[in-house]
Amino acid sequence: MAECVKVCTQNFGKGAQDIEVYKKLGGYANISERLFNMSQFELIDYVQRSNLRGRGGAGFPTGMKWSFVPRGTGKPVYIVVNADEGEGGTFKDHFLMMEDPHRLIEGLIIAAWALGTRAAYIYCRGEFLPCIESLNKALNQAYAAGYLGENICGTKFCFDIFVHRGAGAYICGEETALINSLEGQKGQPRLKPPFPAVSGAWKSPTCVNNVETIMSLPWILQHDPSEYAKMGTPRAGGTKVFCISGDVKNPGVYEAPLGTPMMTMINDYAGGVVGGNLKAVLPGGSSCAPLTAEEAAVATMDYECLASMKTMFGSGAMIVINDTHNMVDLLNCLGNFYSHESCGQCTPCREGTGLLHRILNQIVAGQGHDGDVELMQSLCGGFGGVTICPLSISLGGPVGSYSAKFRADFDEYIAKNPDHAKPRIQETYRPGIFW
Amino acid sequence: MSNFYNMPKLPTENSPKVEIFVDDKAVMVPGDTNLLEALKAVGIETPHVCYHPYLPVSGNCRQCLVEQEGPRGRMLVIACYTPVTPGMKIFTPASSARVKNARKATQEFMLVNHPLDCPICDKAGECTLQENYMEAGQNESRMRPEYGKNYHGNPDHQFIDAKGQVRGGKHVDLGPRVLLDEERCVQCDRCVRFMRSIAKSEQLQLAGRADHTYITTFPGEKLDHEYDLCVTDVCPVGAMTAKYFRFQKRVWLLSHTPTISMDDSLGANIWLDHADGRIYRVMPRCNPEVNRSWLSNTSRLAFQGFNKNRLPAMGFNVIKSAMGEGKVAVVMGGACTIEDMAAARMLKDSMGDKVELFGGSLLKVSEPDGIAKSGDPCANRAGLKLMGFADVSELLKRAGEFKVLLTVNADLFGEDAAAAKALEAIPSRIAFSAFNDETAKKATLAFGIKHWSEVQGTMVNNLNILQKLNACPVCPDAELRPAYDVISELAGKKFESASAAFKKAGEYASVLAGLSYDTIKSTGKLLEGGEA
Repeated sequence: MAECVKVCTQNFGKGAQDIEVYKKLGGYANISERLFNMSQFELIDYVQRSNLRGRGGAGFPTGMKWSFVPRGTGKPVYIVVNADEGEGGTFKDHFLMMEDPHRLIEGLIIAAWALGTRAAYIYCRGEFLPCIESLNKALNQAYAAGYLGENICGTKFCFDIFVHRGAGAYICGEETALINSLEGQKGQPRLKPPFPAVSGAWKSPTCVNNVETIMSLPWILQHDPSEYAKMGTPRAGGTKVFCISGDVKNPGVYEAPLGTPMMTMINDYAGGVVGGNLKAVLPGGSSCAPLTAEEAAVATMDYECLASMKTMFGSGAMIVINDTHNMVDLLNCLGNFYSHESCGQCTPCREGTGLLHRILNQIVAGQGHDGDVELMQSLCGGFGGVTICPLSISLGGPVGSYSAKFRADFDEYIAKNPDHAKPRIQETYRPGIFW
Repeated sequence: MSNFYNMPKLPTENSPKVEIFVDDKAVMVPGDTNLLEALKAVGIETPHVCYHPYLPVSGNCRQCLVEQEGPRGRMLVIACYTPVTPGMKIFTPASSARVKNARKATQEFMLVNHPLDCPICDKAGECTLQENYMEAGQNESRMRPEYGKNYHGNPDHQFIDAKGQVRGGKHVDLGPRVLLDEERCVQCDRCVRFMRSIAKSEQLQLAGRADHTYITTFPGEKLDHEYDLCVTDVCPVGAMTAKYFRFQKRVWLLSHTPTISMDDSLGANIWLDHADGRIYRVMPRCNPEVNRSWLSNTSRLAFQGFNKNRLPAMGFNVIKSAMGEGKVAVVMGGACTIEDMAAARMLKDSMGDKVELFGGSLLKVSEPDGIAKSGDPCANRAGLKLMGFADVSELLKRAGEFKVLLTVNADLFGEDAAAAKALEAIPSRIAFSAFNDETAKKATLAFGIKHWSEVQGTMVNNLNILQKLNACPVCPDAELRPAYDVISELAGKKFESASAAFKKAGEYASVLAGLSYDTIKSTGKLLEGGEA
């Protein structure tokens, strides 16, 4: 395992929650020395050259996202940090904010300078209470040290950060739902356009970035952007914080350059598969299509390779599954999660996720029938690209790919029903008293 | 869901026409609207559930999907939220199997938890789901009972939500007038958007998530807005039911008479839905210029009194003799039509200066509510002005001059007994009235006439729009006659029909000259100028 440059996790375990320790480790040097000598456009160009792509899951180039934010509209520009980390298997933001909250604050000041922002919000998942405490403590220290508030470091630049605690809805990780929730409305995705960059929080231009994206900024500013770009693949620069969980010896958060082979991640970083042989890997969180052991052997962890294998890089959350597990159990677990977390807005998602979950429940309970899998696959066909946000595909995608790649697991469960070959009884009318 | 969404832009007669390609065929459509309205304008119906032309677009039913050619290939988009752009390429189910399948899938999802209680549902016959299914679907169900929501198991079909609480039910009492059937609800949130953006009172909310989403009021609160019955109109399925109409009549047995609500000077356009000689319900009739799709509860529920407390018809000769010799004051109420006024003008012509004409109401004028009420209870006030009637307050000052008072649908004593006391000095008081109201009781002669719901006629509303009333065949007494019929006979030249009366009105008001009763559109006609 080659020792790689640590961009986001360099201060882990060093007690950097305290501002003095953080400063001794080189923190806030950007703010006091470099940042205010650069113009906004220079800074955006700097980030664009670093090839930094959004770390939340979609992988949109950050510099380009910032350049979309209109200027001179007379409305304030907001930065919202998406710390509503809810995807199954993802836990990097939690550790990043716990271990190094000042890096997030420093990154936010840089982003604020680039976008001309007066106020930023950190939308933190409601369950992350220790995280919120750690952030608030760091914010108080930063205010006391003069890095936040009025006239930062003797300049005319003023900037405030607020931590907003979410109420624990997965869908609030979607940027427009997050903005709705931040505004105090029900956390449901908005129709697009207008996109948040044009009309987001309180109808003002809003830039929503992931925690890790913002935390990469101090390193990029300290070093040369080309140095950051060099670390990754040609189309995505830098390192990535991976969360490896599941059947591995050392599950946890690891930082590695983009393009690292998947097996290197599993064997060298996480200590190898335990409890059996490798069966499948979910490379980018619970909503992506799984890779079989053969596919995992040739996969590299970057946006392009995984897209070519019809799965996605997502948030870099690898879930490793050994061959003692039945994939239907896993899918049922996903069905439970997504049917519970659907916001209830679009019909296909609202009704479809619950429907899939109930069919999966039937199969797991030993009451599956022949044709159930085909029915599920056919139902998922109604999900693709028809809803406001991609939550329906987060379940529809796995149902399709699990049943295509691990069909034997489904057949094994269905065979547990002695009557599986008989058709389900058609009841034309549900009995009941209606009035 | 959120109030972030904007009202849809609707096409008008002046909309610029742009060329778009629908299924590879070039068509000219209105250019300043959404795709759904544009396609409707060229005769292509797009099924939709949540879209309503007068509510903000929320785009959550996903039923109106069409395919649009874009930079990244053909994408499915919702027609209700896609603006028309010149040269855009659209594919409907006529040419695209993908659109057809997507709509079919959406329809299937919508029916997963929707009960098949159409045989006892009040909305059956005018239900959007039924229409969509019959037009585009008629697919066989693949759903099985065990795929449905986990119901609590009690007869009321309550279910257990994600937190383990018992929710829903077949009859959730939302307020004094509206009952909710939670099981039929398809979460289109039209009612929520109506209460939020039209009624401006957030009494309804969507609570919960996923397929446990349910419509509710705030704890302990009621749905008791003046416009709350509109939620039963906008509801695309039978979830919101009006208590007064629940289980009263199958809607396909109702006949519909388009007319005008004569209890407010906005003149809300309505349908009188009647069967077996009685009115069963009043529904708003869409008129973009007047009341859009809305109707207040007062106007809607007024029909319940239309056939109660009616005055009987009487022989005509009685009035003739009662008119006597002295000076006559004719007072026309707000519910009188232009035709009634024309007859009164003719009476003045035939009797000379002996007759003076007054009109109006003693009720207080309040502020317009901005939805479907102008606040002026004298419905035809603009018509009275047009036809040269003095205000009734004039009469109160000069009551002593008159020997005969002839009130036509003007319940002066009922409206303001104190102010009307002066009129008791007039010795001979004749009341032409549909109801046995206070004025009829105080009258020396009370003569029954037809109610405004039973006559043909016209009225001018406060926006100066000439609107047409139609006769609903629900008159309780065949002997009753319209007011214009009686008064014109009194004047000595009986009108053959309402259209003849309207033609006569053209002689008294120049803006009405040249118009014909039969050519007035159902949405009315905007009058030029206004003064006679």
